[in-house]
Amino acid sequence: MTDLHPEHDRLLELLDRRQLLGRGSAAALGALVASALPILPSSASAASSAGSPSVTDATLQAFADTMIPGRKVSTTALGNPIDPQAIAGVDPSPGAVEADALALYHHPEVGFDSLEPPFLSELETRSLPHGGDFLHLGWDARVQVCLAGLDFSNPTRLLWEAAAAVPFTAFCAAALVRNATSASAPGYRVMGLPGVAPNGYGNFSYRRRMSRERTRNGWLP
Amino acid sequence: MSENVDVVIVGSGFGGSITAWRLAELYRAAGVSPRSIVVLERGRRYGHTDFRQSMDIDHLSDVYLLIQGQGAQIVTANAVGGGSNLYLAASLRSPRETFERRDQRPGDGPVRRMWPAGISRASLNPYYARAERGLRVKRPTWDQVSKSGGLWAATLAHQGYTCDRVPLAISEERCVNAKWCHTGCIFGAKNSLTTNYLWAAEQAGVQVRPNMQVESISQSNARPYRYLVTADVMDNEGTNPTRAPSGQQVQLQCKVLVLSAGAMSTPVLLMRSQPNLPSLSQQVGKNLGVDGDHVAAIEFDPRRVRSVLGLPGYHEFYKGKPITTMSYDWWVGRAGHAYDGTRFNLQEIFLSSLTNFLYDSGRTVPGGPSWWGLQKKQAIAHWSNRIELLALVEDTHDGTFYAVPPSGAAERPNAGPVSVGLFNYAMSEQSLAVRTAANQAMAQVARYRGLGKFMALTETQGAYCAHPLGGCRMAESADLGVVDDTGAAYGYEGLYCIDGSIVPTSLGVNPSLTIAALSERCAERLVRRAGDLGLPAAPRSLGLQTPPQHIGPRMVPARHP
Repeated sequence: MTDLHPEHDRLLELLDRRQLLGRGSAAALGALVASALPILPSSASAASSAGSPSVTDATLQAFADTMIPGRKVSTTALGNPIDPQAIAGVDPSPGAVEADALALYHHPEVGFDSLEPPFLSELETRSLPHGGDFLHLGWDARVQVCLAGLDFSNPTRLLWEAAAAVPFTAFCAAALVRNATSASAPGYRVMGLPGVAPNGYGNFSYRRRMSRERTRNGWLP
Repeated sequence: MSENVDVVIVGSGFGGSITAWRLAELYRAAGVSPRSIVVLERGRRYGHTDFRQSMDIDHLSDVYLLIQGQGAQIVTANAVGGGSNLYLAASLRSPRETFERRDQRPGDGPVRRMWPAGISRASLNPYYARAERGLRVKRPTWDQVSKSGGLWAATLAHQGYTCDRVPLAISEERCVNAKWCHTGCIFGAKNSLTTNYLWAAEQAGVQVRPNMQVESISQSNARPYRYLVTADVMDNEGTNPTRAPSGQQVQLQCKVLVLSAGAMSTPVLLMRSQPNLPSLSQQVGKNLGVDGDHVAAIEFDPRRVRSVLGLPGYHEFYKGKPITTMSYDWWVGRAGHAYDGTRFNLQEIFLSSLTNFLYDSGRTVPGGPSWWGLQKKQAIAHWSNRIELLALVEDTHDGTFYAVPPSGAAERPNAGPVSVGLFNYAMSEQSLAVRTAANQAMAQVARYRGLGKFMALTETQGAYCAHPLGGCRMAESADLGVVDDTGAAYGYEGLYCIDGSIVPTSLGVNPSLTIAALSERCAERLVRRAGDLGLPAAPRSLGLQTPPQHIGPRMVPARHP
């Protein structure tokens, strides 16, 4: 059990009871915890008293920027506002915030809204020793906070992995852009992925034999 | 009031579609309408033009179900035609050593041959050939190999290894090498079951009913019917589906019940029904496997690709077909090993752009983050210089379902693509050791003469899997498995499991063709016994046909590259 916050202990109890605590992959954890969180009303009220919605959203943006950092911009690709403090500006190309990670955090099919209060509560608790709330920490301090949160020694690591999965999904999968292209999705642009390819590609092969083959038909006997 | 039919097939993936077609052949040969064969599928029906080259959350929520358990994350499909809509179409026969496996997983009974005596590579070969014809499997020429696959082959060849082209269930005539197989092929180029087995069965008269999630089964006393099947009608359609049970239920009584819902669903359904089927093997829900799936990536340096390999650079991971080459050199040709669980095969693969999330950056700073942060961002910026690798390792089946959700195969908290599976996956020493060996081999190949950076699966001992197997494995007896080598459940006449859940070991290759071959074999045995089970008896004139092909409406490129 952690001594960070009572909500964390209650979350852990719940996860243990359901035998769901252990190494899991992040992408599914929103559903994992959201599926079973009677603790949420109390933790939600604790978080809402800690700040206005815009501050919590800005903090989520700052976390997303720590996962996949990007250039400083004022609006996202979909035209949503970005808090001026959220992006640290350590990388010159678009990052997860510009790719609308915040909108994905709040998407009903992601389910992170129910995880947000306990996550932000722990994020801020871990930020205090570094000088203040997460949003106003410098890049290096933000990294240290996230290293600790995502460390295997942290019993609530699953929660942090769920939070980390969202910016990756927004950026690398362009999850809020239907039929995304490198023009409409900042992540695709950075990755060098053109996106939809309605005519496919012609120059897709080196068109030469590359290796000696072991089998006659492609499969082993 | 239940509806009475001859056969209910639960699920429309490889097992369900192949069984449906072979039973339809039987009925037609016997002069009986196949209308009394009903396939129930939990997902929606999709045409090629309903798919998108897109990973937007609505599309992912429609077609995928990502099941998170304790220690493993497993991707399944959710559509008429099952996984064949989304798979990457690699169609490989499993090596003969697979069927001779003698695993020694603690607590899993005596050391023995894991597969029933009736199953070997030799005995499966005719069924593999049958499935290859049905799925129109062809091996690509080198001209049809993707640059990413060619690069993998060239990298291996320069180090003295072999690398083979992978047979595919893809039409070269329709494929435009857009590499969007993973969200459904809009061009109808992938030979999914909706273009062959399932379409043919439906044309013959089999009823395929989408949006029907079977929740439980029990025995019927109303002979000649043996089983009562209860299904929820799913709210999958419309602009804002909940993708949950609608509240409406249906019941069917049948003489023969075939469970083909896949390894993530068939075991759960049987566990939920166990109070009604008390003689089922106690192995139900145990021995869940991941087909040895173990992923990693290499980020190539285009300059080294030119100088070392003599190729004109590489930055086109997104072009071509998602799987075209693999090496068997870590499976064969090594001295001193028997059936010891140390083999693996290394396949070049394109999973999706989202799997970026899975890999270390390859630039790890001591003490710094390895899979997020600035270094990771820089790795992502070189994504198109990358290839992904799938090591198909000889692991053991280490998973167990420990509970049953109230509905479906997993707890789905909202209409999104993610759900919680109630299973544990704790890897055995063999499963861990063989993955470590695969990592070492991939890293060594990647770093040859500075060609690339090796990007391991992030700091985890968990499994990421698109190929769930087992949970109702076949075995020689009920104390070791749930079904016999024909898919017949021990203890229950007329109850069959015909899908990936009956596979007792990892396969060393992508599993679809082996599941298809096993399904052909199980369906053949079922047809032979049909008369005994109250279905039309197989006439002497019954001949096996390759299911006809029907492509249907598809996107036709404005210009073919």
